[in-house]
Amino acid sequence: MKKLLLISAMTGLTCLLQAPASFALTGGLTLEQEAKVRSEYPMPSGAMLGDNCSACHGTKGAEFNEAMPPLAGMDKQKFIKQMKIYRANKFPSIVMYDVARVFSDEEIEAMADFFAKQKPEEWTLPNWNASIKGNAKENSHE
Amino acid sequence: MNKITRRDLIKLFGASALGTGLMGASSLAFASKSAHIVIVGGGVGGAASAKYMRLLNADVRITIVEPEPKYIFCPGSNEVVAGFDTLETLTVDYNTLKSRYAVNIIQDRATEIDYAAKKLKLAKGDVLSYDKLIVSPGPDFKYGAVEGYSKQLAEGNFPAAWHAGPQTLVLRDQINALPQGGTVLISSPVDPYRCPPAPYERASFIANKLKDTNPTAKVIILDSKDDFIFHDVYLDFWKKEHGLGTPDARIEWVPKKAGGHVTKLDTKNRTLTTANGQVHKGDVINIIPPEMAGSFVRMNGLAEGDWAPFNSQDFSTKRDKDVYIIGDSAAADPMPKTGYIASNQAKVVTKAIQAELTGKEIGTPFITNNCVAMAAEDWGMTVAETFRYAGNHHPYEESYVMSDPTDNPYYRHIRAEVAKNWQRTFRKDIFS
Repeated sequence: MKKLLLISAMTGLTCLLQAPASFALTGGLTLEQEAKVRSEYPMPSGAMLGDNCSACHGTKGAEFNEAMPPLAGMDKQKFIKQMKIYRANKFPSIVMYDVARVFSDEEIEAMADFFAKQKPEEWTLPNWNASIKGNAKENSHE
Repeated sequence: MNKITRRDLIKLFGASALGTGLMGASSLAFASKSAHIVIVGGGVGGAASAKYMRLLNADVRITIVEPEPKYIFCPGSNEVVAGFDTLETLTVDYNTLKSRYAVNIIQDRATEIDYAAKKLKLAKGDVLSYDKLIVSPGPDFKYGAVEGYSKQLAEGNFPAAWHAGPQTLVLRDQINALPQGGTVLISSPVDPYRCPPAPYERASFIANKLKDTNPTAKVIILDSKDDFIFHDVYLDFWKKEHGLGTPDARIEWVPKKAGGHVTKLDTKNRTLTTANGQVHKGDVINIIPPEMAGSFVRMNGLAEGDWAPFNSQDFSTKRDKDVYIIGDSAAADPMPKTGYIASNQAKVVTKAIQAELTGKEIGTPFITNNCVAMAAEDWGMTVAETFRYAGNHHPYEESYVMSDPTDNPYYRHIRAEVAKNWQRTFRKDIFS
């Protein structure tokens, strides 16, 4: 965090040019540096990437009660298209450009697969117990 | 020392988990071949570890050791200080983890790891055998960093209120009882500490409240740093709403370079002394102490300096590959100490453990921190941070986008709504 503001000052202008509708600063690795680090290791799994979304979109993307759109069960192609639009900053968003900008095409596709196979059911409905059980069984024995 | 037997564990899990068999884990969980995952701490990191471990594996035994019967979320506790939310909203129990995810909860304090025997000793004398131990006890406070301050004073009339709970309510009541034109002093600590924007959010919320109830009162932030996250946004807010920089300013920020670093508390005269010898008098004094890894982490040789180092790929400790460290006690810089981070570290650890148990390779980790803060109920800000794996013995690499000051009320308002939304979904993600 210490280097955060200094780098922000240097890169803020670039971001404004890319994202005229947003009042934001960027910092840390540039997108080019980020892509380089990303390329040096195997791609994180779709579950590893997708589980980072749960704080806002619910566990396994299965939060259907809030303002955030649910991701569980979303059509794969729709997910890919929407994430790429966010990544290009071509669609007005609150934080989704900020979130999407770091992902590769392959990572977006892996997340799309991950969410497409989740059941489109509210997480805390009672019948989730069966889904949890099935999910755990699948992971234990696959 | 009593050794916990298989029969005892069945008793501890209780009839509800066994009877309803929600996880399908009821019989398999106690088979001798199934691994025992023991978790120290039932906060965000510990609870997320238990839940996400169960989502991956129906068979392992999962036990959380936690001294408190309930957990109170820290996100949202500044709202309680300012009086527009209650602690009840932020409080969760462990019933869902028990019944839905077949997690065994032992209400006790973990004391000692026997690394050679892979056993964990508890304060009441019990001993647990573990195959994997996830350590997530949260931080401890360095009360002694401010001369004259202590845990006893924090639990009395000088609340730190940095763990949501009784101290949060004491601070709220003190703000409510502030004399007209009184002064609130907030001491903000050196990095790193839990939730970097929270001292400034708290100061803003208190000033907002005083604007209505006690408009000549003043909030002074005495800072041990010269910078903080969302610095420009908060200063913009304080200028626009509280006259920052004018003689009548309702809020004042004193950075370290201007003598903000607090060194001493005088309880009798209710003053704070700063590094340059200046004495500030406060009707309410809120010292947020600097932090270090929890005592369990330090007592068991997991910390180097104040924090516990780990292998980046799976958060296994440098001390022992079967013992993992997550949450605020981990030396995870550049990751900030947030619940969001702790929950995502838990997901990395549980996936690594699952890979090991099933004979697969541990995958590449990936962690984000998409966090929110507020200056007022309609004035929010966001940061989206990505942490990329850059080698097992190397810190993660960070990139981020964060809010900057703006006059666009829509931008601010929608982020405040995101902040409120996030708190609800986050609580549910961890404990439901």
